[in-house]
Amino acid sequence: MVSRKDKEGQVKKKNLLDSQTSRRSFLKGASIAAAAGSAALVTGCVPGAEAGSSEEFSLKWEEYFKKHYRLMTQEEKDETIARLVKLAKLQYDLDIQMSSRPPQEQVLYGYAFNITRCEGFMDCVKACVKENNQDRKSKTQYIRTFEMEPGQLDPSTGDGKYFHEVPVDNKFYMGVQCFQCENAPCIKACPTKATWREPDGIVVVDYDWCIGCRYCMAACPYWGRRFNWGKPEIPQEEINTKQHYLGNRIRPKGKVEKCTFCVQRTREGKLPACAEACPTGARVFGNLLDPDSEIRYVLKHKKVFRMKEELGTDPKFWYFID
Amino acid sequence: MKKIIFGSSLLPFVSGILLLLCLDAGASDESVLDRINKANEPFDGSKIESAYALPMKTVRAKEPYQGGTFRLLARKDSIARFRCSVCHTDKKTQARDGSLSTHGDIKLNHGREEDGLSCADCHHEKEKDFLVGKKGAKVDFDHSYQLCGKCHFRQKSDWVGGAHGKRVKYWAGERVINNCATCHNPHSPRFAKRMPATFSLPLDK
Repeated sequence: MVSRKDKEGQVKKKNLLDSQTSRRSFLKGASIAAAAGSAALVTGCVPGAEAGSSEEFSLKWEEYFKKHYRLMTQEEKDETIARLVKLAKLQYDLDIQMSSRPPQEQVLYGYAFNITRCEGFMDCVKACVKENNQDRKSKTQYIRTFEMEPGQLDPSTGDGKYFHEVPVDNKFYMGVQCFQCENAPCIKACPTKATWREPDGIVVVDYDWCIGCRYCMAACPYWGRRFNWGKPEIPQEEINTKQHYLGNRIRPKGKVEKCTFCVQRTREGKLPACAEACPTGARVFGNLLDPDSEIRYVLKHKKVFRMKEELGTDPKFWYFID
Repeated sequence: MKKIIFGSSLLPFVSGILLLLCLDAGASDESVLDRINKANEPFDGSKIESAYALPMKTVRAKEPYQGGTFRLLARKDSIARFRCSVCHTDKKTQARDGSLSTHGDIKLNHGREEDGLSCADCHHEKEKDFLVGKKGAKVDFDHSYQLCGKCHFRQKSDWVGGAHGKRVKYWAGERVINNCATCHNPHSPRFAKRMPATFSLPLDK
């Protein structure tokens, strides 16, 4: 049954591909006409109102009609990335590198967090904000560290906004971020299928298909997602130019964003920015499908737990104690 | 004309979303733990070609790891006044430059207050370029874990396994990890208290 549906989908996908050229050429013509002065064409939902040059407008116009990331061929991915790179040059005067590197086979990313070792220095949060081009104005952060009373394991009982000398005696610290659930409620909640789990386990968002309804935020039991109320404001010299389409590229306004285990880094074999920045070694990252990896050692030899495991979300983020 | 084109292109878009629904349907029938328990084939890190060799000097550890080996950052290069035997010879000298030549700047804060450590507990008394290991054995500065592990054996086994310390830069490729002294000052190993690097705003509730 599924295969029949798949076939149907394939056929329709083909139709879509066939109709692509004619529609695109039409739209291109329309964009030139609009740029020439017919501002009436620019309606409220088309992101053209604030476009500076005619080139910028035509790029934005073409961007508006692109497909869902998972339905794009590699060629189409390359095209949209080329447009986004050009747009970044026009808007920010920056030469960015954007990747659409696919997941590696036999890789499933997992994370372990040592609550005995974390001392609350928050170097991870700082590194994350910089790496992922997060909005500085609203102080968006994907990671939140909580100062916890001994014996408590629910972060809602902890202090998430401490700012004093750390570590405080007889307290412990707990970092919370997106847990990349295998059975993620946020994915089910999304009405436009703009968020999904990649084969390597990372839950990603296609920012151009997100409509900003924030159902996923309501569905997430871990407060793992963030909404941007405005276009991210980042000082020009602090923008990270090494970007991934599904990761840290500068988000449009009104989208939901989240931790992606730094997809732009991890798919290159690097550690996520938080794990690299951690000064105490509390953060362990690796390939869950590799029996020789550090994360597998932790799962095998340490006392581990996952947050709200009883919900059945199956997160790929464990806490452990020494 | 515009309307017609829009209408005809809407249908494949809708069917595209249906296709996405189908993709999701067959995805999560196995839990993470099932997948982990099934996976017993070591991952070939060289498949990720972007995880290249580090620009820092590393040494191969003298400890087995998961049936193989691993590397750690070299230590000797980052010790400012190595080699020690340049000054520490058999010749008798007068300590004229006070704190500079007698290591007076080192504040030893290692071990409990009542029985803190002294220099000779870790440094070899005769072979000045070495640390002292089990039964007075010479320990190279690059392999200081052999010394640290004498007391901190639990941390050492965690470090070898991967639950203590951390990898350098890459999760893929050959395993390169920090040595003990990359993170800990051996003379004062506990991390100093300090202000956090940043802060968070209150939750919007």
